[in-house]
Amino acid sequence: MTPFGFAMAGDPKNPVMPGCGACHPGGGGLEFDRDGKRYDARLQAEPQLAQSLDGDYFKSPWDKTGVVEADCFVCHLPGYNFKDRIKQLIMQNFKWASTSASGIAQVTGFVREGQTPAVQYNKRLFNEDGKIYLELSGPPPSENCTFCHSFSDMRKRGFSWNDRINHDVHNLKGMGCADCHWSIDQEHNFAKGDENVSTVRDDLDNTMKNCKQCHEQGFMGAPRPAHLSVRPNHLEKLACETCHIPTLHRAAAEGFDVTTGTLVNYPKLGATQVGANFDWKPRYARKHKDGKVWPVNNLLPTVYTNQDKDGIYYPLYAREIGKGYEKIKDKLKDKKPGRPELHTPEEIKLMLSALAETLKGNKRFQQIRPNYHKGGQIHSLNEKDEIVTAKDETWCGEGEGFNINHNVAPAKLALGANGCADCHSDEAHMFKGQIVTDIFGPDGKPTYISSGRLIGCQPWAYYVNQFHQTYLTPYVSIILLFLVFGLVLHYTGQGPKGADFTYEPGEILRFTLTERWTHLVRMIAFLLLTLTGYIFFYNNVTLLRMFFSSPSSAVIFHWVAGLIFLGASVVALAHWAKDARFADYDKEWLKKRGGYFGGKDVAVPAGRLNAGQKIFFWLTAGLSLLMGGTGILMIFKSSLPLTLNCLISTIHGFFAVIFVAAIIAHAYLGTIANPGTWRALVDGKVGRKWAQKHHSEWYKEVAEKEEKE
Amino acid sequence: MGKNPYKIWGPALVVLVVGLALLMPSLLSAKIRTHAPIQLKTEDGKIINPLTGENADQPYSPRQTCGGCHNYNEITKGYHFQQGWDRVKDDFNKKKPWVLSDGMMGKF
Repeated sequence: MTPFGFAMAGDPKNPVMPGCGACHPGGGGLEFDRDGKRYDARLQAEPQLAQSLDGDYFKSPWDKTGVVEADCFVCHLPGYNFKDRIKQLIMQNFKWASTSASGIAQVTGFVREGQTPAVQYNKRLFNEDGKIYLELSGPPPSENCTFCHSFSDMRKRGFSWNDRINHDVHNLKGMGCADCHWSIDQEHNFAKGDENVSTVRDDLDNTMKNCKQCHEQGFMGAPRPAHLSVRPNHLEKLACETCHIPTLHRAAAEGFDVTTGTLVNYPKLGATQVGANFDWKPRYARKHKDGKVWPVNNLLPTVYTNQDKDGIYYPLYAREIGKGYEKIKDKLKDKKPGRPELHTPEEIKLMLSALAETLKGNKRFQQIRPNYHKGGQIHSLNEKDEIVTAKDETWCGEGEGFNINHNVAPAKLALGANGCADCHSDEAHMFKGQIVTDIFGPDGKPTYISSGRLIGCQPWAYYVNQFHQTYLTPYVSIILLFLVFGLVLHYTGQGPKGADFTYEPGEILRFTLTERWTHLVRMIAFLLLTLTGYIFFYNNVTLLRMFFSSPSSAVIFHWVAGLIFLGASVVALAHWAKDARFADYDKEWLKKRGGYFGGKDVAVPAGRLNAGQKIFFWLTAGLSLLMGGTGILMIFKSSLPLTLNCLISTIHGFFAVIFVAAIIAHAYLGTIANPGTWRALVDGKVGRKWAQKHHSEWYKEVAEKEEKE
Repeated sequence: MGKNPYKIWGPALVVLVVGLALLMPSLLSAKIRTHAPIQLKTEDGKIINPLTGENADQPYSPRQTCGGCHNYNEITKGYHFQQGWDRVKDDFNKKKPWVLSDGMMGKF
């Protein structure tokens, strides 16, 4: 496209939609050629340039249209008539555009129609000295920015501003575009955010404050979020926008098709048109720059390229594609007008063959090898003239999608405001949302992928994790309650098993000091783990605030308690593994169910540990190692794949519940169910009668040993 | 006996106070700054005065008009004006030779 074509782009029959020039405020390439000379002046001096192949002047009557100088009013004049600017430029009234669109004069006549436009200034705006009085705005009003940005960004991101339907919390607080995107230098460059897709001027990326900077510093009175109910790793791994832009309410484009040689936009599937009032949720992608998950809209284009001799896939111009389409359009049956939606191998072959023919002799290329790129695949013709389809690893298949930063929801609408289930539940979009990957797939219908797969979570891992949120969390309390109910029922029904509260002469040592300390350390560490684990399990902000200064400190506390517990468990294993070996008499203990049922005082044989304690010992030893292993992995979860994280966090949570249930039963049996047992872990001693009754085989060993001594 | 001044002034003052209250937000709007009256000029720098008819058939030139006080050349170096035009190079992107700049002018 020539600069002249750039300036006047648009439809003269319907001069409403802005072409390139309307959104360009003028100056630069619309004022000066590549040699730095004004187009109009140079063409007047060298009129032959209009007949030359010089792209700056080819068929470009700059001498009649004038140039498009930078129009300050586009940005700084509230009420600027942008539609009039579009019309003036399309009709080639370049140097009259600002005069007309600013509303200071009426311009009649169009250069495009061979006229010389006439100007009639509105005298009411002028003072007696001939100067004009205009109420200009220093920082541009948002309405002026959205002349261009609502149109272009709507397609890419569904972004709109000053929009009751597609609200933004900053907008609701009275902020405008220039409050964030202020001028950063004398050249009127504006502060720019972080753009996923390398579109323009990457060197200006991150020149504006990001969410964190404003909200941590309280910039412009930005509230500081506590995020007490948010896991620290979520804050590390998710961009703010991921939770705070859960839904957009204006349809962005799902993709576009250029097969006809004209760009045909496809709005979000289900929407009537781009920009329509339509609720949709973003796709999520990991940004290469920071590894965080961002909300994006990944436009799905159909692109035609030609692979030249240098191996590069060159995009075909719209007119080149259009020529190919003209040759085959009558052969495409049952197609909507202007929407060929080529998807079958036969249709694709037809189009690529037509392009191979129409591109012959094209001076842009040294070899003709047309390709059709769609839905992450590249379709080409092989030497036998057959269609070959492969994963698109060319530049057409790249892209993380346009990141979504605007239309931020109020905090109460953010993901997580209603708890973890906003993302970790059966219906949540974060993992189970269906994302379009091809607007017209192999069967002509859209193809989809689960949202979770795009951020690296395999479906099976997600279902495992979903079990945690859907079944475990809601029902764990009631399960534990039934356990306690059962224990109370046992106590009231069966009663305590004997009683031995009295000290007696000749007590024997059952547990050494080291063993007792090991048990004490395990017990305290377990209580702390249960407290912090409960906070995480239920995201209990009240308890969190009661005991910890921040979620991070609770996490670190959990880590430290877990490591101490694991260490003490290893020591316990060394202490009691020998005593926990099963013996023949354990069968009888198990057969009589330890004498805990039936209401009779039944004698059951047992070693230093009875069969029930042995089972408990090995169960808790296994659980300790499992919890320790998964727990240590979770300390490093930020470096692990999401699938593994989903798996280990579910395993950790599930077995934590079993561990807690086992410990509740253990505590019951070690205290009120067997009065006096607790003393063994305080001073380590037990009475001989107690030992004979509860641990008969061990007592025999002790007695024999004493006799020998 | 003269008319009650409260009856005369009261309603008018109420209208004034209510009117001011309604208009206050726009009156206090900090963003709209009144710009000094502007002398429009043609693209060759001549004064436009519609009241006297001087060059009143000519469109005004932003370069000449705004550039009288503001540094037009400096301002128009910004991206929104150049849109890549000042950075166009034939070898800007060797992997995508059709991309000549990092702006909208110079892309395909």
